Amino acid sequence: MLPNPAMKRYNSRMVRLWLVYAAFLLVAIYMFKHQLLSGPVAYGVAVLPAIPIILVFATVGRYLIEESDEYLRMLMVRQTLWASGFALSLATIWGFLESFDLVDHVDAYYIAIVWFLGLGVGAVINRLTLGSTVKC
Amino acid sequence: MFAAKQSDFTPAQRAHVRRTLWLLLVYAVILPPLVWIRANIPVAGYIPVLMAIVASLPVLGIFASWGRYLSDERDEYHQSLTLRRNAVATNATMGAAVAWGFLQAFGVMPLIETYWVPFVWVVIQGLFGCLTLFSRGEA
Repeated sequence: MLPNPAMKRYNSRMVRLWLVYAAFLLVAIYMFKHQLLSGPVAYGVAVLPAIPIILVFATVGRYLIEESDEYLRMLMVRQTLWASGFALSLATIWGFLESFDLVDHVDAYYIAIVWFLGLGVGAVINRLTLGSTVKC
Repeated sequence: MFAAKQSDFTPAQRAHVRRTLWLLLVYAVILPPLVWIRANIPVAGYIPVLMAIVASLPVLGIFASWGRYLSDERDEYHQSLTLRRNAVATNATMGAAVAWGFLQAFGVMPLIETYWVPFVWVVIQGLFGCLTLFSRGEA
């Protein structure tokens, strides 16, 4: 199946956002490593790499709005629901393991990484239950 | 406007509310003894891990109940409202988690338990529901 216009825009936005993320992350790491920051500026630069990832989530939402094929939109909605359930469930279990002092604390952005893995889980479930998945 | 009668709810919504209340009751019943045992009785091996997983099961059940509600709901309007609320809550929660995660990674904010992320998700869903209720009379 060839990508439709909504998919093409989604892919193009994703590539640009991940490139921006890589650039912002390198800048932030360099500045913190060389201790160039202090005060409120440090908070601003620490949040800098998070901005493109937040926009990645917005891009998924925008794809859902722009996708005119109802079947593809339904597949993507199912994938995102599985991703949310997967990420929030793992966060809950890990959180209780942390509070019982059984595992170390992790940086909260790992939840987002798990969410992206959850999209893959949703794609597999779509494939197994409906026979197809979104190929962005 | 705010006095919701039982007939205001669809059958799927009633089932979801009933499941959620039961799960919250189970959560309230099992969590205090588990926390007490962990704090006062030395348990080793896999038992503390099992205790932590048992404590999280009712919360996981609530997420599953949301999924089942979306599957059971026959009213497409209510289904789309719930999907929209879920999408807003997920985007806002994941955005907050990513921003907080980088603040943690660069050492400017403390590490927190990850169960705060689902907590934020639930709170945002509630806030969004209230906002919609106030603005358009339908949540």
